[in-house]
Amino acid sequence: MPSENREVLLDVKNLCVDFGSRRHPFHAVSDVSFQIFRGETFGLVGESGSGKTTIGRSIIRIHPAASGEVWFQGKRISGKISRELDREVTRKIQMIFQDPMASLNERAKVDYIVSEGLYAQGARLPEEERKARVAKALSDVGLLPEFASRFPHEFSGGQRQRIGIARALILDPDFIVADEPISALDVSIRAQVLNLMSQLQRERGLTYLFIAHDLSVMRFICDRIAVIYKGRLQELAGAEQLFAHPFHPYTRALLSAIPQPDPVSEKQKKLVVYDPSCHGYDDSNPPLWEELEPGHFVRGSRRELDGYRAQL
Amino acid sequence: MSSYRSHKEKTLLEQVERALTPEEESALFTPAGYDFREAEKGGYSNYSYWQSTFRAFFKNRVAVFLLLVMAALLLFTVVQPYLPGQRDPNLIYDNPLNGLPLRNQQPNSDFWFGTNSIGQDLWARIWAGTRTSLFIGFVVAGVEALLGILAGMLWGYVRRVEFLFTELYNILDNLPQTLVLVLFSLILKPSIQTMVLAMCMTGWIQMARFVRNQIVILRDRDYNLASRCLGTSTWRILFKNLLPYLVSVIMLRVALAIPAAIGNEVFITYIGLGLPLEIPSLGNLLNEGRLLMTAPPLRYQLIFPTVVLAVITISFYIIGNAFADAADPKNHV
Amino acid sequence: MTETDIILSVQDLDVKFDLRGRTLHAIRGVSLDVYRGESLAIVGESGSGKSVFTKSFMGLLDQNGSVTGGHILYGGQDLAGYASEKQWLTIRGREIAMVLQDPMTSLNPLKTIGRQIEEAVVLHQGLKGDAARRAVLATLSDVGIDDPEHRYGQYPHEFSGGMRQRVVIAIAVACRPKILICDEPTTALDVTIQAQILDLVKALQKKYDLTTIYITHDLGVVANVADRIAVMYAGDIVELGRCEEVFYDPRHPYTWALLSSLPQLGVKGEPLYSIAGTPPNLFHEVKGDAFAPRNPQALKIDFVARPPYFEVSPTHKARTWLLDPRAPKVEPPEHIRQLREQGVKFRAQ
Repeated sequence: MPSENREVLLDVKNLCVDFGSRRHPFHAVSDVSFQIFRGETFGLVGESGSGKTTIGRSIIRIHPAASGEVWFQGKRISGKISRELDREVTRKIQMIFQDPMASLNERAKVDYIVSEGLYAQGARLPEEERKARVAKALSDVGLLPEFASRFPHEFSGGQRQRIGIARALILDPDFIVADEPISALDVSIRAQVLNLMSQLQRERGLTYLFIAHDLSVMRFICDRIAVIYKGRLQELAGAEQLFAHPFHPYTRALLSAIPQPDPVSEKQKKLVVYDPSCHGYDDSNPPLWEELEPGHFVRGSRRELDGYRAQL
Repeated sequence: MSSYRSHKEKTLLEQVERALTPEEESALFTPAGYDFREAEKGGYSNYSYWQSTFRAFFKNRVAVFLLLVMAALLLFTVVQPYLPGQRDPNLIYDNPLNGLPLRNQQPNSDFWFGTNSIGQDLWARIWAGTRTSLFIGFVVAGVEALLGILAGMLWGYVRRVEFLFTELYNILDNLPQTLVLVLFSLILKPSIQTMVLAMCMTGWIQMARFVRNQIVILRDRDYNLASRCLGTSTWRILFKNLLPYLVSVIMLRVALAIPAAIGNEVFITYIGLGLPLEIPSLGNLLNEGRLLMTAPPLRYQLIFPTVVLAVITISFYIIGNAFADAADPKNHV
Repeated sequence: MTETDIILSVQDLDVKFDLRGRTLHAIRGVSLDVYRGESLAIVGESGSGKSVFTKSFMGLLDQNGSVTGGHILYGGQDLAGYASEKQWLTIRGREIAMVLQDPMTSLNPLKTIGRQIEEAVVLHQGLKGDAARRAVLATLSDVGIDDPEHRYGQYPHEFSGGMRQRVVIAIAVACRPKILICDEPTTALDVTIQAQILDLVKALQKKYDLTTIYITHDLGVVANVADRIAVMYAGDIVELGRCEEVFYDPRHPYTWALLSSLPQLGVKGEPLYSIAGTPPNLFHEVKGDAFAPRNPQALKIDFVARPPYFEVSPTHKARTWLLDPRAPKVEPPEHIRQLREQGVKFRAQ
């Protein structure tokens, strides 16, 4: 599908996020730019500390951006915004968290947890309607409506993650930032959550930003994938493109690390290790960001990019 | 769990109990049908936080015993004036024979705790004193808790007022509480209100700091971030997400604040700035008793209030600690 | 493999926990032989009892848990009867060492890592002073930590997650154990680091002649490192076999479900195979096959009687009624059949 015809839902422009004191800031995210189209699942993959979670949190405005902008449905949502826009964006952009054990309030019933978002939206809902919406949200995620009167600790990890999804869904958002939603789950339960997310996307036309450190899952669920290392994007391509022709050495390292359920090939596998100094960036040889084939962007030095082009 | 499955199990089990014919046996090897709702029902845990807390608390026999003792004591102090045959604590009782005040009478069948040096009934005074002291203790602990929790929550959670509270804490923490108590007692007329006011002035900041420390630990946890993403207001987050986790630790501090307040009152009385004698309190009683300590036959005037104070202090201390331990989820087994 | 090759033999082990007044039957009559020098993987979901199982052979069960039946035979002793700390201290570290999931909580944040490794070296290798320090530096390079001299004096918080796990492995290996148990050693780590840590353990296994037991819920990880695989569900081993046998020819529906739900086998656009529901509550006695309620291919007898082990080959057995000669022929799901074809190719080589 040609990208020009599709609506840009989220536009991140030159985003920089810093942590720490003003004098010695730690640059968690440096100059990251990408667009997400309506209805797609955009994957953001990198190791811990690469800045991917920070990007997600900046989009949902938990972390302020040091510089750069985030635009949503044609309006700027980073920095100071009006209260109306704030409320609108809160409803339309929601987040799913990584750890199902920590992301639910242990002392509140599932009923309250799932309907929490409704309280902030202003209009006081009558009790029956609130209960009905909670019951619908729970059954949408495959849980029994009677679970509303129980506490989170009575449920397993997979069920808790689904409660978290119900909590996000009850507001009927357009865009969901999924911050490693399955990393803390057992492999057999991951499938439940992934299937649920795909199903919800089809039914409701949701758009996802899927953040993870595991490429094998990304291939299954994402349309396009961006690879991030130490706060900078290294490669951005469609999922199949990325797996078919990975150019950047870091992407190759990530791909070789994916464990395959095939003992014979696994035991003979040679792991690719990424060494950042292999690029040899300096003032005379700066890193560039170029489109090598339609929709496939890579970061590299002039020499490297020419080398990749030659491979095509 | 009555369900399609357990019904199926029952019929199947009945089949197996009897000896199986070959046809029945092979019938068992046919597909059973699949209901995903049954699958969803597995893994239910019966853990309830408060139930486990109370269970753990009641395992501690000493704490339960002392809780009963305190309850009995409280009940008695409230009921005592309405019982028949009780005397006024401030009246001086004269010997009907010679008209002289019945001073320093040893405990006897008429005056169960004896009389004090001016002829007042010590039994009545002790209970009146216990009432006053407990009242002061509860009020001070309650006000400290209220102010302290509110302040602590704001201090810990709202970044904009954090600086203000920290500075306030630095100032108040350095003021010796003794000094404040003394000043208040000197400036205002000594009375229960003055005492309560003086103690509350400085006490709340410690509770606030404690609450703030707990909030700082909790505020960046995922579930609070999730609430912020949902647009939940600060007050709702404070009361629904954070306060429930603090209940157990707050209870401990409140339980310890009560004897602390009573102890402060005793101290103030010792340095001469306590309540007037018309308002009996454990402080007054202890002070009077202290003066007579050297005379062995009169020691009962010190021993009775001491025992009451000791029972109150030890009980609250042990109950408070036992409850805090019981409320810690790590002890819920 | 002959009898003399068995280093640890677990027979009919039963472990129970007292929880809030009720009894949780966590391990239900499990038998397993571990061979010297092999790499055994125990695979299962959370709550299957895999961690409890290995903790029972080191005396690391929680206060409210106890071995209520069966034997754990190691070095001529029955560990199931060990009750005092003194007895367990002869086993822990010295004979059996464990690497746990979270390296940050496994290390003492107040001591330098050099000191922590040195403690193990001094205690278990009997070296002192300079000799001990040199042994520590050698161990640090063994586990792939660069610049050991400098790293010796650093604290755990100065290391990244993967490096900390290497330190924990160094401490475990410094004890020179016979058996190394790795309890989900890479679950908390990124996928690139995960691969490196697994390679590291494999190398150390060869170098120090260890027997390793991996506990994990991720079958992908296991394909790389394991010689044999035991699949656990609800406190029982449901399938046991060599790595190739379990991957290319699995027989138990739970193993089928685990393998099918791997995203690596997923096809975009189609739902991933997933197992509905959650493992059963082990407070109640389990009648029949514990996996039956979640098994779309369950037979009626699965709800009634617990299946015995059926042998598929001398090294491969599974506890499922589907292998009973009276059972109907059930085809495993699509993905498993694909893996089976790969297996046929492999066997043909």
